[in-house]
Amino acid sequence: MFHISVSLFAQTRTLENKIDLFHDKLLDISMTFKKVIQIYLSEGRSNDFRKTSKQIKQIEHDADNLRREIENRLYTQNLIPDLRADVLHLVENLDKVINKFDEVTYKFFIERPEIPQEYHSRIFELCDLTASCAENMAKASRAFFRDLSSVRDYSQKVYFIEHESDLSSGRLRENIFDSDLPLANKIQISNFINEIADIADIAEDFIDELLIFTIKRDI
Amino acid sequence: MDLSFFIYLSSGLFLGWSLGANDAANIFGTAVGTKMVRFKTAAVISSIFVILGAVYAGSGASQTLGELGSINTIAGAFMSALAAAVTIYWMVHLAIPISTSQAIVGAIIGWNFYAGKPTDYAILSQIVSTWVICPALSGLLAVTLYATIKFILRKSHIHILRQDCYTRIGLILAGAFGAYALGANNIANVMGVFIDSSPIKGFELPNGFGLNAAQVLFLIGGISISLGIFTYSGKVINTIGNNLMKMSPMIAWIVVVSQALVLFLFASQGLKNLLQEHGLPSLPLVPVSSSQAVIGAILGIGLAKGGKNVHWGIIGKIAIGWITTPIIAALFCYISLFFLQNVFNQVVYLP
Repeated sequence: MFHISVSLFAQTRTLENKIDLFHDKLLDISMTFKKVIQIYLSEGRSNDFRKTSKQIKQIEHDADNLRREIENRLYTQNLIPDLRADVLHLVENLDKVINKFDEVTYKFFIERPEIPQEYHSRIFELCDLTASCAENMAKASRAFFRDLSSVRDYSQKVYFIEHESDLSSGRLRENIFDSDLPLANKIQISNFINEIADIADIAEDFIDELLIFTIKRDI
Repeated sequence: MDLSFFIYLSSGLFLGWSLGANDAANIFGTAVGTKMVRFKTAAVISSIFVILGAVYAGSGASQTLGELGSINTIAGAFMSALAAAVTIYWMVHLAIPISTSQAIVGAIIGWNFYAGKPTDYAILSQIVSTWVICPALSGLLAVTLYATIKFILRKSHIHILRQDCYTRIGLILAGAFGAYALGANNIANVMGVFIDSSPIKGFELPNGFGLNAAQVLFLIGGISISLGIFTYSGKVINTIGNNLMKMSPMIAWIVVVSQALVLFLFASQGLKNLLQEHGLPSLPLVPVSSSQAVIGAILGIGLAKGGKNVHWGIIGKIAIGWITTPIIAALFCYISLFFLQNVFNQVVYLP
């Protein structure tokens, strides 16, 4: 009995660490994303940009491995049977945001959009908003595992920032289509803006589900 | 002691088997249903503890039943237990959550009437009062536990995985306590009516370990409850599962602990003595229904959560059980005793 309890606690602690690490990856990638976009806007596809893109790819890869390990352990060790499906769903959706950061960065790397200087600060502002949205989403998700009462606080922040990001991306696209840029260029930049704003939308959808799971998790 | 004793005892053993099959689901049902505890683990733990409870703490509640009616022939005891068993089967068929205790009390009163023995109405009213007190007390305990656990969880920030770990251990410990309390409280229903007519003797081993005659009888009854747990409770758990209310493992733990505490309060001679020594009010030692204790706990939690999902109809069903179960069991016992005496020429009571 004692041995069973000790091994159960040890397994639990290992998985707790992995879930925490997974959330750390989301925070890492959102901060690195801001950095990579800033580099791109000031230097284009420089060596520094390539190096930071690789960092993003590595974080995404590590997060994928962690996700698989979490999912496997949850099932093989038969942990939290009543909430397992919800937790798996959350982990999958967190991973979607991580993937999206990687996808957008790779798109910058491949397509090398030409963004006029006058839009740099506003593009960066949008990236800052979406990264902040993802960070608060990670905090809300972490709170779901430890501190239910904080979930609502972080969720509210996500909703607020997502709304701000919607407004910001809308205004930016409007300005771009009002400009004298060639149409192909306008469409390309507009697509990038949409892709960046999508991160905040995914975070908002995640929070909608998280709040439902929080009600279910409350005893 | 001849073989006929065991034939007569069969109705009690059947009652024990059905108690094990049904009531073990109250103790470990949700834990097994939610896959927090494996059925085998649950069955082994509940079997061991139900026997321990029956043998070491079963005498208090049995004594109260004995005071209600002392059935003095084995044929009379056989028919009383059978009448209770048939009544239970019928009421379960009608989906009324009844108590084995209500059925056995009805059967004893039926025997009292048939044998022309007086029924102690003071004892009877004491027993009847527990039918109401049991679910109410269980509900009260559940609400208190629910509020306490909720407060602790809010303040302690325990990780969901660690909480799961604690809940698992808690469910096993609560299940063991629940099984002990069930054995202690409900063995009276299974074997109580046989105590006065049983030819079984007690024994003592050279190392000092021994059991008195009633304890040997309780051991046999406990084994029959264990058989019910092993052979049929798994099916009951799978069929009934979370029918009454979908419970989280934490709520399941609260329900099991509340139920076990109530059963223990109505069974523990030691606790009763302790309360009386300190001038505190104590509860009578009476076999009560674990199903009704569970329903009381679930209703209590439902109310604490705002009362939106509470099925008030279930209270009506319990109330129907309070009235109809003892009446049906008494009538059935009375009529069956007549047949047993006049058709099968058995001595069903001694004057």
